[in-house]
Amino acid sequence: MATLNSPGARADQALSLNMKLLAHHELAGFGGLGEGISMQLDAKGRRILWLAHESAPKNFSGVDVSDPLNPKLIVQTDLPHMKLRSNSLDVVDNLLAVAYQTATVGLKPAGVDIFDVSVPESPKLLSHFDCSGPHSRGVHALWFVDGKTIHMSSGSGDFEPHNPLDDQFYRILDVSDPTQPVEKGRWWYPGTRVGDSAPQPKRLQGIFDTGFRVHNSNVFPSHPDKAYVGYIDGGAFVLDISKPDNIQVISHWNHSPPLNGFIHTVLPLFDRNLWIVSDECVQDGGLDWPKLVWVLDARDENNPLPLSTFPMPNPEAFKKRGGRFGAHNLHENLPGPCSFVSDTIIVGSFFNAGVRVFDTSNPFRVEEIAYYVPAAPALSPAGAIQLNDVFVDDRRIVYTIDRFTGGLYILEMTI
Amino acid sequence: MSQGRDPLGGKIPVTVITGFLGSGKTTLISNLVKHPSMNRVAVVINEMGEIGIDHDLVSLSSENMTLLANGCICCSVRTDMQETLRELFAKRQVGDVFDFDRVIIETTGLADPAPILQTLVSDTLLEARYRLDGLITLVDAVNAHDQLLTQDEAQKQVALADRLLITKTDLSTQDLLDQLQLELKRINPNADCLNVLNGQANPADLMGLGLGSSRLNAQTFQFIQGIDLLAESPQGGSYLGATLPRPHSSIKTLSLRFQVPFTWESFSSALELLAKLRGPDLLRVKGILNVQGEPLVIQGVQHIFHNPVKLEHWPSEDLDTRLVFITRNIDVEMIEQLFKAVCFLSVKSS
Repeated sequence: MATLNSPGARADQALSLNMKLLAHHELAGFGGLGEGISMQLDAKGRRILWLAHESAPKNFSGVDVSDPLNPKLIVQTDLPHMKLRSNSLDVVDNLLAVAYQTATVGLKPAGVDIFDVSVPESPKLLSHFDCSGPHSRGVHALWFVDGKTIHMSSGSGDFEPHNPLDDQFYRILDVSDPTQPVEKGRWWYPGTRVGDSAPQPKRLQGIFDTGFRVHNSNVFPSHPDKAYVGYIDGGAFVLDISKPDNIQVISHWNHSPPLNGFIHTVLPLFDRNLWIVSDECVQDGGLDWPKLVWVLDARDENNPLPLSTFPMPNPEAFKKRGGRFGAHNLHENLPGPCSFVSDTIIVGSFFNAGVRVFDTSNPFRVEEIAYYVPAAPALSPAGAIQLNDVFVDDRRIVYTIDRFTGGLYILEMTI
Repeated sequence: MSQGRDPLGGKIPVTVITGFLGSGKTTLISNLVKHPSMNRVAVVINEMGEIGIDHDLVSLSSENMTLLANGCICCSVRTDMQETLRELFAKRQVGDVFDFDRVIIETTGLADPAPILQTLVSDTLLEARYRLDGLITLVDAVNAHDQLLTQDEAQKQVALADRLLITKTDLSTQDLLDQLQLELKRINPNADCLNVLNGQANPADLMGLGLGSSRLNAQTFQFIQGIDLLAESPQGGSYLGATLPRPHSSIKTLSLRFQVPFTWESFSSALELLAKLRGPDLLRVKGILNVQGEPLVIQGVQHIFHNPVKLEHWPSEDLDTRLVFITRNIDVEMIEQLFKAVCFLSVKSS
């Protein structure tokens, strides 16, 4: 009974440890945001935070967060129709890449737009890369950090999966000419495409069958030959992409079965030979618990070894708080000029458990050192906060966003 | 470059409020917790044995209160305070109590605050979770003069304070208040004096007194400035002398400045020696050290020292080591000689 009455179970209560709310912006009433947060340092020295909306009608928003106490919405764009979402984006210098995923296969536009945002208030479309097709919903997530290459989770007009849940695979786009994106590589889980010689993968059961498709595909400029890929029910992969036309598997690890699938992000900590692997919770009320963040010893790439999971708050309390409870996005040590980079401190978004900060100095015993759980945003259908993504800037200011209505929360972490 | 964890930043600040019986601690705290900015404070109160009146006096907006009802906080029952602070943090972690962002500890009127300050450093769990933000000592304008003359503990409460609040000023005269301020300044030149009537203090005046981060934010600058104010020397040179010695008082403040960097081994050896020989009389030590070019902040109460905190970089172009000692019954020149000798030997050995 104690957990029912505890602040953890009460969605109206904000909770915090070593984090302070500096500002909250509801984004003009369109506070449902996806998994794209990226910061631009514009020509005037302003810090523009670009945010992808989770669902139509809005496409993306730009918020001037130079003064984190006083964020200003400077631009907000619309999608062409309601069966579309622009879940993901990244910005490098003045180039903004936006992912488009349709509600069902066969719709358009499905793919990637590249904008010139040298004047952030007036994004100018440079190109559209089409990924639509009879079996494709387009692009779910993209990674664009070097200004030349986009790594993404994408369907394609020429790709027919055995199972419609497996439509988005790993694709590499060369955007060195941003007006003419060109595909230069692709890889998919063997056995998922019609015509593959490999047998089809064994699927998870019931509600836990969420697909053998890519979520995040991260490639760091310091290690350009390796892609760190969360392949949802397929597990975590490290791919050798030194020859984009002949991509090879270096490492593979999966916790499911027996767990409930959906590996989302593989974040390498290069200097420590560790991977931080996050799951994504996709069921309300804790139905797919546990959804965790894992620490793996990657010294032997043939044998990635799980060492620990991040400590989580009391699930019995948070399952009852409303909406999803569990791991999701991590701040990914982006190499841009404005990004917080740490080999030890990891920041993640955990839906109704808010944004949480961990010290991984001891990989066997990760310590939670800060968190902020906003109170339920007004009109939230989940009845609780659902923090979906997080970005941390070099000033240690944390930007986190709600999946439904809450918009942008700007926090200071005092750690 | 990889960013790491601030050794202090994540710790919950603790404000210790002390002062003699009747000096107005409970009135002050009762008012403080009503302030909008203080709605996430856990207050640890000790009732004085059988005189359990504090419980009635404090307005119990229960979510702001944790009441410890078993005896004096000083000495023998110190462990209870330790356990309370441990339990508070554990309950906070699992969501059984609200997410307090500060702890206020009210000591009993008879308490020597030093053991409380030491507990925050010497208990491993408390040290990891909490940090002392400041010791506030309330001084009763009517009775303070006599108390300071006759009660060693009253002197010590003043000597250790980061901030002094003079209460019941309406019952005194301006002349007497001026005299009292002078007297307090003689015992503790480091602490600002504020007048408080009917417990009406601005929380901002009582918070942010300690070192809260290794990064150079406003609070860090303020903390270093506090050391600098005492370490300023109109004449220059290393020895600044005992500041404003109080007639017949055994409590003295000493400021030292060294231009030559120390090694950590040499400095810590000297400090350990001093603490070992005269720990009980070394009431409070603060300083910014130049250890082989890097800025380290040290703080100690008697023989217990906080872990030194390395600042991310020097707060100004002043790279000298600056140390402030508040001592009792120590010939301060001896301290100066000790550190001079160590400084000299350190140079010779490097």
